[in-house]
Amino acid sequence: MFFHIVLERNMQLHPRYFGRNLRDNLVSKLMKDVEGTCSGRHGFVVAVTGIENIGKGLIRDGTGFVTFPVKYQCVVFRPFKGEILEAVVTMVNKMGFFAEAGPVQIFVSNHLIPDDMEFQSGDMPNYTTSDGSVKIQKDSEVRLKIIGTRVDATEIFCIGTIKDDFLGVINDPATV
Amino acid sequence: MGLLYRHNGDTSYASWASLGPLTLLQVAVAETQSARAFYDDLTSKGENQPKSGRSDNRGIAVVILDALTRRQWVREEDLAKDLKLHTKQLRRTLRFFEEEKIITREYRRETAKGAKLFSAATAATVDVQLTGKEGEEKVKLHTHSYCCLDYAQIYDVVRYRIHRMKKLLKDELDNKNTIEEYICTKCGKRYNALDALRLVSFEDDDFHCESCNGKLEVESDKFVVQEGADGDDNARRRRHEKLKDMLQKMEIQLKPLMDQLSRVKDLPVPEFGSLLAWEARASAMGRAANGDMSGDSKISQLGYNGAPMPYSGDTKVVVDFNGTEGNRHDVKSETESTSLKVLPPWMIKSGMVLTKEQRGEVKEEIKMNGTSTSSSAQYSDDKKSTVDHDDKKNIQDEYIKAYYAALLKQQHELEASSKQELSNTLAANDPSSSAYNRQVGLKSKHEEDDDGTDWEEAPVAGTGNENYKVNDLNVQADVVPADDDEDVDWEEG
Repeated sequence: MFFHIVLERNMQLHPRYFGRNLRDNLVSKLMKDVEGTCSGRHGFVVAVTGIENIGKGLIRDGTGFVTFPVKYQCVVFRPFKGEILEAVVTMVNKMGFFAEAGPVQIFVSNHLIPDDMEFQSGDMPNYTTSDGSVKIQKDSEVRLKIIGTRVDATEIFCIGTIKDDFLGVINDPATV
Repeated sequence: MGLLYRHNGDTSYASWASLGPLTLLQVAVAETQSARAFYDDLTSKGENQPKSGRSDNRGIAVVILDALTRRQWVREEDLAKDLKLHTKQLRRTLRFFEEEKIITREYRRETAKGAKLFSAATAATVDVQLTGKEGEEKVKLHTHSYCCLDYAQIYDVVRYRIHRMKKLLKDELDNKNTIEEYICTKCGKRYNALDALRLVSFEDDDFHCESCNGKLEVESDKFVVQEGADGDDNARRRRHEKLKDMLQKMEIQLKPLMDQLSRVKDLPVPEFGSLLAWEARASAMGRAANGDMSGDSKISQLGYNGAPMPYSGDTKVVVDFNGTEGNRHDVKSETESTSLKVLPPWMIKSGMVLTKEQRGEVKEEIKMNGTSTSSSAQYSDDKKSTVDHDDKKNIQDEYIKAYYAALLKQQHELEASSKQELSNTLAANDPSSSAYNRQVGLKSKHEEDDDGTDWEEAPVAGTGNENYKVNDLNVQADVVPADDDEDVDWEEG
């Protein structure tokens, strides 16, 4: 799920950036630093959308670096248990398949794939229904439901299922 | 069930009746069943608090729902009065129902006038005693709340609940949402699916142990091997059994409800609309009923918007007085014979009294009387199952029906005696058989004319009335005498 929230971060700025572009430099450094990172608490920071407030800088003794407390708005993405996501399959093996929904890695074990889908090994390992109408292979797009998440300080990993109504392949790359 | 009759007889819902009174019945039954099934042991939340433990609320939910199935929009004070409940108690339960999405409620600050508007509306449709109430209401000026069953929503809510219940049990049975566990065959280290990313190896398809690089197996496969070794496993199996049991029991116990739901599935849902819309509609009915004495047949021609709907009429008994009122027909025939038209076959329904000319065929007129009597008899048969329901409205309606039937029979006898001569005179008097002009599709002007004659005739019928009731409509015989005072009402309006 996406959230638009306000976060705060202490930015250290090298003295060479001081000048009339200080603020711009600060913001671009902030974007470079936080976009794409993951915090266990808030999820993945997708994009910084604005600066709320930049506090007074504090000069560090000895280094000359200045620390600015910056409040910024950003879009974060955090997966939840029970959430339905659309993801791209990245790897298929006999234990199940891995998929990615943006930055989030999701594993769907073969128990959570509908019983009528069989694993087919080979050059392009895939899960296929007996009549061959539905095929899950690398680069397939699937809709899945998250049934478990592991949230570490810097990493989020999910396991999902496609064994439910309206879940499964939504776009087969072979037919497009 | 009483509801069948009520809605059948409830002429303000003519379009409903035409859709099939069974719908209402079945929805109501489904509703009642679900109410019985789920809310029987409902004790409102306040009950849990020690201070309000003085009254027993159990079963009240069922009573209230039951009462609501017999009403449309109803003011909560009135409902409380009817059920002899304290308003607080009623409100608590109603709030619960509202949260459960079973009823809709509306709140309105209104003056005595507004309350009167509603009262007028109820008078037209619902069986609420109005006399005496209006006086009390006049002084009040505060928020009134109204409630009404929301049948469409109930249907959805019940289905959704059942679906959720089943899904919960089934999912747990199928281990659908469990997180897979893996165990290393070499060192016995356990992992679960959340570690999967770290366990993938690029050499083969299997997961490999982080510490010893041994092959990992799905742990559930091991259950068979370690059978009974682990107390945890046993607990899991017992739980499994219990779930299965529960699911089966649920299937059995909810079977009647499911049947009912599937029966209701294809039928349209009774829609009362918002309070305002309903009120406007109902008061329109009421006005129509006041303007015309025989509101019974009149209102049936009105649709939701009060617009004339000539062919929405369900089974209606229309009495014609061709035998006794020969002179009147003489007068009327001049004006009405011109308006006769041949109706297309799809417009003709079983309850309509039409001439053969109107049906597009020419036959002897006397036969038509036979048709109308048989239809009335059929009607009373329909009601047999529903007679136990003794609403005031019903009684009134039944009285009217019984009265008509009695009149009809009397007339029949008269006819039998003077059959030959009558048909002769009729043929002579009005060749276009205007005797049968009183049909459902005709405008109120004719109806009013008829009414005048109805009342002239009333005392004549009154003498023989009791006998006819017993002979004719034996089921209703007990109902009608109790309502002698209704007679007065009926005449003056």
